[in-house]
Amino acid sequence: MHGYSRALAVLGLISLACMLLSVSVGSASLSLADTFSVLTGTGTSLQQTLVLDLRLPRTLSAFATGGLLAVAGALMQVLLRNPLADPYVLGLSGGAAVGALLAMMTGVASAVVSGSAFVGALLSTFLVFGLAHGTGSWTPSRLLLTGVVVAAFWGALIALILAMSPARQLPGMLYWLMGDISPAANPFPALILLIFVCLLVFPLGRSLNVLARGPMQAAALGVSVRPLEWTVYILASLLTAMAVTIAGSIGFVGLIVPHMLRLVLGNDQRLILPACAMAGGALLVLADTLARVVIAPEQLPVGVITALLGVPTFLYLLHRSR
Amino acid sequence: MNTLRFLVFLALMALLWLPVSAGQLCARDAFDRDVCLTDPAQRVVSLSPGATELLFSAGAGKQVKAVSAWSDYPQEATKLPQVGDSNRLDLEAILTLKPDLVVAWVDGNSAAQLERLEVLGIPVFWLEPRTFQDIARAVEDLARLTGHENPGSVRASEFLAGIAELRDQYRDALPVRVFYQVWHQPLMTINDEELIGRAIQLCGGDNVFGHLPRLVPRLSAEAVLEANPDAIVSGGEGGEDRRWLEQWQRYPDLKAVASDNLFLVSPSLIQRPTLRMLAGAEELCQVLEQVRARL
Repeated sequence: MHGYSRALAVLGLISLACMLLSVSVGSASLSLADTFSVLTGTGTSLQQTLVLDLRLPRTLSAFATGGLLAVAGALMQVLLRNPLADPYVLGLSGGAAVGALLAMMTGVASAVVSGSAFVGALLSTFLVFGLAHGTGSWTPSRLLLTGVVVAAFWGALIALILAMSPARQLPGMLYWLMGDISPAANPFPALILLIFVCLLVFPLGRSLNVLARGPMQAAALGVSVRPLEWTVYILASLLTAMAVTIAGSIGFVGLIVPHMLRLVLGNDQRLILPACAMAGGALLVLADTLARVVIAPEQLPVGVITALLGVPTFLYLLHRSR
Repeated sequence: MNTLRFLVFLALMALLWLPVSAGQLCARDAFDRDVCLTDPAQRVVSLSPGATELLFSAGAGKQVKAVSAWSDYPQEATKLPQVGDSNRLDLEAILTLKPDLVVAWVDGNSAAQLERLEVLGIPVFWLEPRTFQDIARAVEDLARLTGHENPGSVRASEFLAGIAELRDQYRDALPVRVFYQVWHQPLMTINDEELIGRAIQLCGGDNVFGHLPRLVPRLSAEAVLEANPDAIVSGGEGGEDRRWLEQWQRYPDLKAVASDNLFLVSPSLIQRPTLRMLAGAEELCQVLEQVRARL
């Protein structure tokens, strides 16, 4: 356990460093000294606005979203016992996208678009669970198949909406689909959810380790499989719905971060889950900083950067682990 | 005798290679091709709202038989049948109308789709007005192709005269730093090459993002904070929509917010590359005059 605290502490420091970088860097970059002075209450009015009103909420949102996606991905991979599972495998991002795009098409305020995305995500979850109910239990393969099919259906609806929208709304819709953190104003709901879940999975971690061996073995070892699986599915869906509501469907983080951490830290869920929260958050914060800065003053959507950054990193780790 | 006949024969052959100018109406389109008609076009299909407006401005309103979606000006255009939108056109509907001229827009319509029409012998005239001269020339060209050369020419000159007058009026005016917002999510603006950017320059304004290479850059709010323009102008999402401007109230330190220089302009006047751009530019110039008074 001593090794665990060290690993988590290192990840914590990395996360803080990334957040500090993100808050200092931008169209008008501040030196570290300036950043500290703003964070402690002094600094010019423009600097304060930049750091406290613009960058801090965005950085915290990015961290929370990345953490939520990574933890949700890790949970899905344990539950479905499938390394290719990511948070969107049950059609969640598709449902949220349909909700958000429909709202955008009717020209409502951003808050309504987020709310619509959240409703769409939850609707998709209920739909998948409802359809996957066979005689008896929800087996992982049945759930996975239903999820893939429902996701394809949402994909078709998204294509329909894009085809029918007036041309001037398309850039906004495409940015949402690629994942874009700039609309995020209030990071606190997501942060609170993330912290809550991390505390919650601590007692669950041991049961999840056992569950990872298979439901039969888990039941034989005294884990109440059904309630645990239910709890974790609901949790993962909630996390993903919150993440997609804030930032659209950012890909790659939920799939790759758990794998990257497993290559380095092993497969104990008690360590992996909180580590995912921090590593996922740090990765998305870095990606968002790059997205803001790479072609400044122009902006890129962050989903583009996560894939471009993550793939080489993952391949490198994979190569090293051999 | 033989040599003379031979020379006459050569001369006649040479004449065949010259463009038959008598009775042909020609205009050069945005792809540098000469579109020539033997008679004025009587059945015209317009494939963009801008093209529709320009056709009506050229005096060819009665000859327009169908328009694209969103063609809402002038009023008569709304009563015409629609054949689709941008690159989602109903080619069959267009063909059924048996047009003798199709007017297309370079950034809006798909060249690949319209090639099919050209293969079937329907002339397609492409428009891409990037400057005020381009708008005037488009009206003249369309007027010539539809048999209204003189009235069209007059309207085009009036437009250019109006623009020149504005330019003279504001030539020595105090420069006003402006941010023009095209969209909110992602935050989009225009550079100096775009028509709205040119209108800003006409009115003695200085577009804070005018130097960027892309015609329609997507920015972050941070860039606007850093540029700290004197005024923020927007067409909004259509109609009287001040929502985007009100979003800027979040940053009370912005010069534009502190002096209440947040202006809504009529989007249909300034965001369409048509003769109404003159009215749009006049409105923009008046807005900038208000800002100057407060500077």
